[in-house]
Amino acid sequence: MEYLLHIVILIGIYVILSVSLNLIAGYTGALSIAHAAFYGVGAYVAALMALKLHSPFLLNVVCAVFLCGLLGALVGIPSLRIRGDYFVIATFAFQVITFSVLNNWVSFTSGPMGLPGIPQPMIFGLKISSHLGFLLLIGLLCAITLLITRQIVRSPFGRVLKTIREDEVLAQAAGKNVAKYKVLVFVVGAGMAAVAGVMYAYYISFIDPTSFTVMESIFILSIVIIGGAGSLWGPVVGAIVLVMLPEALRFIGLPSSIAANIRQMLYGGALVAFMMWRPQGLLGEYAFEKESSQT
Amino acid sequence: MVAQVLVNGIITAAEYALISLGFALIYRTAGFIHFSHGIVLTAGAYLTFLLTKWLGLPLSYSILPAVALSVLLGCLIETAVYRPLRRRKASSLILLLASLGVYFALQNIVSMAFGDGTRTIRLGGPEEGINVLGARITPVQVMIIFVSMALFVVVALLMKRTRIGRAMRAVASDPALARLCGIESDRVILFVFAIGSALAGVAGILVALDVNMTPTMGLNALMMGMLAAIIGGVRSIPGVALGALFLGMAQQLGGWKMGPQWQDATAFVILLAFLLFRPQGVLSRKGRSAKLGFGS
Repeated sequence: MEYLLHIVILIGIYVILSVSLNLIAGYTGALSIAHAAFYGVGAYVAALMALKLHSPFLLNVVCAVFLCGLLGALVGIPSLRIRGDYFVIATFAFQVITFSVLNNWVSFTSGPMGLPGIPQPMIFGLKISSHLGFLLLIGLLCAITLLITRQIVRSPFGRVLKTIREDEVLAQAAGKNVAKYKVLVFVVGAGMAAVAGVMYAYYISFIDPTSFTVMESIFILSIVIIGGAGSLWGPVVGAIVLVMLPEALRFIGLPSSIAANIRQMLYGGALVAFMMWRPQGLLGEYAFEKESSQT
Repeated sequence: MVAQVLVNGIITAAEYALISLGFALIYRTAGFIHFSHGIVLTAGAYLTFLLTKWLGLPLSYSILPAVALSVLLGCLIETAVYRPLRRRKASSLILLLASLGVYFALQNIVSMAFGDGTRTIRLGGPEEGINVLGARITPVQVMIIFVSMALFVVVALLMKRTRIGRAMRAVASDPALARLCGIESDRVILFVFAIGSALAGVAGILVALDVNMTPTMGLNALMMGMLAAIIGGVRSIPGVALGALFLGMAQQLGGWKMGPQWQDATAFVILLAFLLFRPQGVLSRKGRSAKLGFGS
């Protein structure tokens, strides 16, 4: 039962991550492989505050979201000048630099040793310690994330985002301040990723930089793409499928030494297969085809 | 100490330059980021390991077959994955994502076959260095620098002087016009993949001879090669060499001043600066790379 709850909690964390990345990549068309950087910074901010300042859970969440929002703006601003392939590389660079800081600034983040012993969260005097408690909390946060995303994409704001995705010049011609929209969507997306990071840190109670690598970013992006970019429920389906897949492998009795490799191989293979036969993903409406005007 | 840093910078640059050249040739001809270029490099190193250690061939007889097999791998990825996608007029982002998938699938196959640990094809213990102006350099490192320079000259001549070189430049500058002139772009692109993969295979073997091999060596090498190409400008062969030299030096200097663990971060900060302020690179005029950079 604990095991089952654990899986559902993990799915919940990935739902928050992929829904927020979908806002950036799926709705606005800015293909970013820096999401694990926001996720990681969120986790580290909360963990460091909890361990060093003993500050309460809710304050840590707010600080993590705020700081990641700022970082999101930092990544969003270059997206106004750099597009297509080069933007992917720029986000890649941001991801590598963030990982490098988490891993090498040993005096502050304690580097590869990680941060153990993150306390259990207290909310209004209520201590969350059981799997069930975490499940409820993360479920609530997933619901909030989905609700905010739905409100955004159904609003005029969301229509502008889709216009930017389909034709940025048109959006500009229609008098929309493309810069403002792009930066805002990055701020919101990064803030949501920070929430996922905080929850991960408190739930596992130990973090180290290896959870926030480029590979993790690409995994989150795979969830969005395989689930379906630009659809509200696509990333949810993607998260369920991609988190359950390796658990299914566990049941057919693969030796654990190669299980991780098989899993990543399957993710890679799935990404190729979807690109070849179903680039819009399981439920998606957008397939990163905007740039094809060059041929 | 300064001399040692400079020499290390040149050695690093010589390795980056080879992967960078292959990456740049493919990028400008095929028009997308061939991420699995990194796995071709890894394959070059591990195939040499397989031939020498598992099949017992001497190193000198293993290099050529290993490079040939790397070429085969590169061409296989092109024909099996990229070509069908191009036929469907998939965007460069789709090709990039597919390429990421190929990279991670193959890297994990390497991990499973050879283990995640370090493997070596080096001969015996630590080598005696030669003293050059107060810096130590091993014979292998001297060879790396010469092989890299020689291959650059060969590729530059190939691009300038041969029919296929002209065809490659034609497809790079305007695929539609090249097609009108009777150039079969699929064949030209396949040829570019063959050359690029050969360069990557050689680079893999050289890196392995210098600092051994791990299954993730290709990712790191590819990142640096990509950076060098962007810094130098993907459209110019001397630009790529210059980009690699600049990056190698900057990384070694940064590592020397701040500690080696900051080498990657240094490189990527430089990259971000270039992407923001000079996306066409040092030597390129505003060509297709700039157009790609600013959206088309």
